[in-house]
Amino acid sequence: MKQSIVWILVFGVWSLTGRAMAQEPIMYLHFEHRVGKDTLELMNKTYINAHNEPFTVNKFKYYISNIVLRDSMNKAEAYPGTYLVDEADKWSKFFAIGELPHFNPRFIEFTIGVDSIYNVGGVHTGSLDPIKGMFWTWNNGYVFAKLEGQSDSSHAAANYFMYDVGGYKQRHNATRKVKLEISHTLIHSGTLTIKADLLKWFQAVTNISIGQSSLCHEPGKFAMQLADNYATMFSVTEMK
Amino acid sequence: MKVFKAISALLCFIIFGAAFIVVSKPKKLKFPVPKGWAQPVYDFKSNPITQEGFELGRKLFYDERLSKDSSISCAGCHQQFAAFSTYDHNLSHGFNNSLTTRNAPSLQNLAWQKDFMADGGIMHLDLQPLAPMTASNEMGETIETIVRKLNGDTSYKRMFSAAFGDVTINTQRMNRAISQFVLMMVSSNSKYDRVMRKQDTFNLPQQLGYDIFKRKCTSCHKEPMFTDYSFRNNGMALEKTLNDYGRMKITQDKNDSLKFRVPSLRNVAVTAPYGHDGRFFSLSNVFEHYRDKMVVGPTTDSLLKKKLPLSNFEIGQLTAFLQTLTDTSFLKNPLFAPPGYNITPSFIHNH
Repeated sequence: MKQSIVWILVFGVWSLTGRAMAQEPIMYLHFEHRVGKDTLELMNKTYINAHNEPFTVNKFKYYISNIVLRDSMNKAEAYPGTYLVDEADKWSKFFAIGELPHFNPRFIEFTIGVDSIYNVGGVHTGSLDPIKGMFWTWNNGYVFAKLEGQSDSSHAAANYFMYDVGGYKQRHNATRKVKLEISHTLIHSGTLTIKADLLKWFQAVTNISIGQSSLCHEPGKFAMQLADNYATMFSVTEMK
Repeated sequence: MKVFKAISALLCFIIFGAAFIVVSKPKKLKFPVPKGWAQPVYDFKSNPITQEGFELGRKLFYDERLSKDSSISCAGCHQQFAAFSTYDHNLSHGFNNSLTTRNAPSLQNLAWQKDFMADGGIMHLDLQPLAPMTASNEMGETIETIVRKLNGDTSYKRMFSAAFGDVTINTQRMNRAISQFVLMMVSSNSKYDRVMRKQDTFNLPQQLGYDIFKRKCTSCHKEPMFTDYSFRNNGMALEKTLNDYGRMKITQDKNDSLKFRVPSLRNVAVTAPYGHDGRFFSLSNVFEHYRDKMVVGPTTDSLLKKKLPLSNFEIGQLTAFLQTLTDTSFLKNPLFAPPGYNITPSFIHNH
């Protein structure tokens, strides 16, 4: 009797430690939000865009999905999962995507937006729960990225400007793929820090001024222009 | 060793017993597919209908707390005696004395419908409740607050647990429960259905009306659903206050300007007023529109380019036929009445 209990205990301890030791190092992504040279601060700080328009930011969030790490020989590791990065939620900007790849990644690719299958297949949970406020209930589909704030240049009520970008249907597809070069080497436990510069929303592919267009609330041409712009906002800054 | 055996036997017994209590499985409900109808398009595998889920859905459907000031439930605008449309209202009443911009559609046979709303903007039945819940001129509430309200109510915790296995309350479960309730709203027992099943016969005006219907109406109002679910411009001119261009708002394609979904005509006699904005007060207004008042524009349906000629005689017979689409057993089915009632009580009538 006693013997069998001892054996059970030994087995239990062995299986627990074994699992812990077998765990692979984890790959983390860390998103850092900047406005030009400044770090983004919600609500209080006023920034100036390329068209000399002052603005504050109340909300800044976006979906990241289909993450792929690649080495120079095109060996790839794909990470499923859709992540909502929200400036207002510290822990949404730093998250694990899975195990570190067994090669030195030279490129990271990801999609800004949500796969079309999730836009149509009923109500989803987790980061895709419509409770997150990133879902259009009257014209179904996810808001892929949201930049909202106030600006004296805006002609909308209370000087708001609201850029809610989405659209998964072919003609108005606002998902954008991003590919960034990683110039350092990832060893064992890795955190990749990616910087996002909000100023690109206003000037990159197309010039977008708050004075001219202060609202985007549906898929379409303007949403796609905003998407083209913000697809350029990311860069890899550092490796640890 | 005896002690060991006894202990393990007892352990087995406890585990087995506990499993029985904790995992008392929800009772499956059979979804009725009427004879001769196509298979439903709703994916029942992802959301099987159970007694517990159905009852939870019914409670949610009739719960006014889902709105911002606890004044409007789903049932406020979807009343059973009006085939779950709003009785006698062109537009429905929303939060804070607001009005909706469209006539509330009847709810029936939803398992056969792929997309929803007069403009088809909603792609899945489970997503549909989110629109009225959050629209400022309907229930005016946020999803976050609704889920918080439900979490603060022990009876909901008990019911979610019974329906889905644990106490988690989230958007998905809430909406799946509502879907389970509204999916069961199958209307297939009107006089028309009984005649088709050879259990009844039309009287002369009804039969003549059916013949006219088959010649002039079925290309859009296709049997047995009495809609082909398409979006068409039937010559209703733009209403200048509402400025509602219908399907074009969703597709942003100017060819879809002023197109709205062909509504089902099942229970049509009890769902007045008619039209996407409820501009037609009675069936005779609708017939008058088709034969005379229609505005033919560039996107008007090709079948209606010359309007729809109808004689007074034909209108009379058609009206007689349309009345055979009323399914009283559906309008009075106690299964769909508020929890604890056999028939919708008068307090639901106030919207």
